[in-house]
Amino acid sequence: MAKSKDTIEDISLCEGVKLSKSIYETKENRLLTLLVKGVVVYLLAMGSIGFYLSAFSIEYNAFICHIVIFLMALASAMLYYRLLTENLGYLIVLVLFCALVYSFRTYINSGFYAIVNITTDGAAQFFNIDIQRVYSEQIENRYVTVTFAVLFIGIVLDIFLNVYISRRMQYVTAVFTIMGLNMVPLYLIFEPDALYTTMLLGGIALAYVFRSGKHYSPQVSIKRDDIKFKEKGKKKRKKKEIAYVYDAKAMVNAGIISLAFVLLMVPIISAFKPKESFNVGYQENKYKKLTMAAVSTILMDGLSGFFRMSRDVGGLESGKLGNVSTIRLDYQTDLVVQLTPYTNERIYLKGFTGVKYNPYANSWTRIDYINDNIDYLTSPEAMSLRDAYEEGYEYSAEAIIRVKNVENETIYRPYYYYDHEFEKQYMNMVVYPRLENNNYYVEGSYYDGYAYTEADLYVPEDNVEAVDEIIAQLGDPLTNEQIIQSLIDYYQENFPYTIQPGKTPYREDFVNDFLMEKKKGYCSHYASAAVLIFRRMGIPARYVEGYAIDLEQIYNSEIVEGAEYKDYYKGYSELGETGLVSVNVIDADAHAWVEVFDMKEGWHPIEVTPYATEPEEEQEDFWSMFADMMDDTNNSGDVQVEGALGNGDTINKIVKNVVIVLGVLLGLAIFTVLSVKAGRWIKYLIVVARADYNDKLIFEYQRICKKIKRKDKVFKDKINYRQQLEYLCEGKNTEQASETISRMDIEKSREKVIAILEKAGFSQDIISKDEHDYVTNWFKENI
Amino acid sequence: MENILRTVGYVLLLAINIIAYWFLHSHFHFIVLVIMILAPAFSILSAVHLRKAIMGEVTNVGIKGEHGTQNEECFFKVKLINKTIWASLDVKLIMEVKNEFFGTKGNIDFSVPVYSLKGYEFTVPLVPELPGRITLSIKEIWIKDLMGFVFLKKKMDNYGETVIMPEVIKQEIQDKTYFEAGMLESEESSKKGNDFSDVQEIREYIPGDKLMSIHWKLSAKRDILMVKDRVSMSDKQLVVLPELCNANLYDLNTIMVTTYSLIHNLVRDKLNVRLMYWSNKRYEYEDIRIDYVEALDDAFAKMFYEECYQDMELAAGHMSLVHPEMKSYLHISSEGGRAKIVVRENN
Repeated sequence: MAKSKDTIEDISLCEGVKLSKSIYETKENRLLTLLVKGVVVYLLAMGSIGFYLSAFSIEYNAFICHIVIFLMALASAMLYYRLLTENLGYLIVLVLFCALVYSFRTYINSGFYAIVNITTDGAAQFFNIDIQRVYSEQIENRYVTVTFAVLFIGIVLDIFLNVYISRRMQYVTAVFTIMGLNMVPLYLIFEPDALYTTMLLGGIALAYVFRSGKHYSPQVSIKRDDIKFKEKGKKKRKKKEIAYVYDAKAMVNAGIISLAFVLLMVPIISAFKPKESFNVGYQENKYKKLTMAAVSTILMDGLSGFFRMSRDVGGLESGKLGNVSTIRLDYQTDLVVQLTPYTNERIYLKGFTGVKYNPYANSWTRIDYINDNIDYLTSPEAMSLRDAYEEGYEYSAEAIIRVKNVENETIYRPYYYYDHEFEKQYMNMVVYPRLENNNYYVEGSYYDGYAYTEADLYVPEDNVEAVDEIIAQLGDPLTNEQIIQSLIDYYQENFPYTIQPGKTPYREDFVNDFLMEKKKGYCSHYASAAVLIFRRMGIPARYVEGYAIDLEQIYNSEIVEGAEYKDYYKGYSELGETGLVSVNVIDADAHAWVEVFDMKEGWHPIEVTPYATEPEEEQEDFWSMFADMMDDTNNSGDVQVEGALGNGDTINKIVKNVVIVLGVLLGLAIFTVLSVKAGRWIKYLIVVARADYNDKLIFEYQRICKKIKRKDKVFKDKINYRQQLEYLCEGKNTEQASETISRMDIEKSREKVIAILEKAGFSQDIISKDEHDYVTNWFKENI
Repeated sequence: MENILRTVGYVLLLAINIIAYWFLHSHFHFIVLVIMILAPAFSILSAVHLRKAIMGEVTNVGIKGEHGTQNEECFFKVKLINKTIWASLDVKLIMEVKNEFFGTKGNIDFSVPVYSLKGYEFTVPLVPELPGRITLSIKEIWIKDLMGFVFLKKKMDNYGETVIMPEVIKQEIQDKTYFEAGMLESEESSKKGNDFSDVQEIREYIPGDKLMSIHWKLSAKRDILMVKDRVSMSDKQLVVLPELCNANLYDLNTIMVTTYSLIHNLVRDKLNVRLMYWSNKRYEYEDIRIDYVEALDDAFAKMFYEECYQDMELAAGHMSLVHPEMKSYLHISSEGGRAKIVVRENN
């Protein structure tokens, strides 16, 4: 390590001869050295990204990515120009990066999912398996989203690799890091393009050669950070060694030779052994075959499961409430549902039915824990509708809905489920849906005396007050339908939907807090409160969790090729004859709703959660924003937000985000400039405050001259105090002279000022306070 | 050790790649494998070629035709000439620095890069604390290949030299009485004016002698032309005789500095001085007349090629035998780092 400037001494070579410390005065071009390092970072970052994407033939705007990642690599390398730029620069980069990621999080997420989905497709193709676990891409335009994702990864890699390369040329760490993911395409026998192979190997070769050369790091003390030579080894060592610190030109030379070698070798080897025919006739390594079985199993079970952050993502199925501040969605497929669309209404898949609400424990107790008698898989409603179908009732139907669990073990059943059978990974459920105009009454005898129990009307004492307060505001609905509708309307008007309601405070009740304090929430809030309100008003009600699938979502899903409609649906359909579609049900479709009982339909679902009428509000504080940065929080299971995400209104979204980012950048730039100026001004004030009268006066005069020089080019040529002051007083002399003071007096005062300035500037004598004040006053009056 | 570790590390990386290739059988790993096998050979061969072609050169700079001064920086330009396309990021120059006159030497290594088709040059600033002849030579060059596996040695003996004059001091000189005595005598002789010559010797005529030098009376007596060998008083310059004794380097330095300063000051006062010193190489006195400062520098430059000796009285000791005609001279020696200036007379 080099010594600080103050302690550097001549080095004694032998008796009577020393090596002068002026050898340290030789400077090296630090900027160029950092640029060379930036190129290495770019080659590694872009090479590794291109490696992966080209292997899977993923399309993106390569030109933009190359440019941005290259510039970012250079900028990252420049951070090491000074200790100040390193510390401050990383902070600014972090802020900018967060702003960019926040602005484009939807695109980045979608791009990531697109890459993962394409990789999964590749894996499915390689393993010859059917992998249903796909990520739901919120934006369909993969070309755009992948570009965003690549830019994101590229910038992250630039910053990350820069730490290893610019600082210590730690090529091993860098290589192992970037090659980790790139093993995936190689494992699946997808080879990258020669360009990216060359870039990657070129980057590695450069890093290796620079590291071997040992002269790459300008990490020396702040004061001497441009020195070309430094003493090597211990100071007291007998044999002295002076080593150059870094040399940009040598690095360029060595880099060109290394790159030329790689550039020459890659095509020669590829010509000798083309990648297209490289694996022809090759039998997989037996050990690889062993791993392939395990890997395919992992893929089937869910590779993405490794990345699950917490249990509060995924479907609702526990009846536990209030412990979620913000719903975080991972958009992973939880269920695959195959059905023939038959209704305009939502299709609910029930996973949990809660009967008893536990105030302050903030949970619902499952139906089967309360009363075994009414926990029947085949419901009386389904049996009645089956009867109607078998009797040939006009608006009845029989459907087979196929459900495959991807994410968890819970069985989710559609309403009016009757029976099921297993077919491979699917559970084929026979369902008798209640469609519009179906007025068939539920056969009361099927309830076996337990249509509902007291538990279905129970409202805990702790919630009565809050519930009654809401009921008082509902008016005087008479019928059950009116009660339900009035509550739905009341919710819609007074309880805005949000996925960021915040956690239920400690020792507070979930429903009371929702009704009395928060007055906003997500589906679980609305459903839980509604159940208690309905019960209080005499309607038997239950709390249900599961998934809700909208018709639009079904329409946007893939049709299952080769499936016959009649094999899956018979009878009346609100939509006419359709086809079998495969719907990927994601965690955003998870939902909670209310079941109410009436004599006609029996237990049937009621939707009380209001639709979001306005875009979600900004997050409340920085840390929640930061935590949710990578998630698109505008979607939820019960509210399908229309707009850019679904409609592909990509350009507007991009323009909007670009404007926001540019605004942020502009703001930061202005802030930085102002901060620097303010810093300089404060520094100036401190220096002036500490200075004696001589220096104070000179500082003041320099400041005035600087201002004048900006406006007056002629003034620049005036080189001494006399010339400068005479020039400045040229015009004023005559004006003033004609007024009160004589020309002689003016010249006399000017001569005095010049004399004081010269005394302050050139002599050892310190001017007095009076002299200082005289001159400064003279400045104020005359300049 | 360093290149052994590097080689071990490389072999380890190669082994990892071989395993990866064996496991994945990917085209990429095949390319990496081939490159990893060929790259070291390429690197070493390029270094071999570079070693063969590289040349070193050391020259003194900044004091063309002049001499350096003690305790002031002097500069040597070290130049490596490379006409090949190969480069190296680490070339070690094993260099030796010597003060030939004082007989001191030391080593210093420089680690520098070598550019393709150009080489490298840099300036070595030295601060000579002792006067004399300073040489900086490249003894060996060690060239590291680009991948850092080998260091190839090339022997050289290329050097540059510069002469460093003692610094001029204005300090009070010891034994001032003697010194002043010498000075007065000298001044007196210089102030005599006209021809205040003395007959030093009468000898036989040698063709070329001036007619006015013929001692007619004696010639008539002996019947052979005799001449009066006259010595002009203006030729009776102050003779300064320093001892080139390096038994103690500080004493030698004191002698050099004192001698140089003394003569320098006298010459500046327009007094002529004769510098005499004992040449151990030729085993006789060198006698140099010094009329101006440049002549003083030349005389010292010449003196710095001499071989020093251990006896502090050697030069003075030979004086009465070799130059008995020398009436008096200023003998400069040193003891314990303090100059000793004594007017000696040959009696």
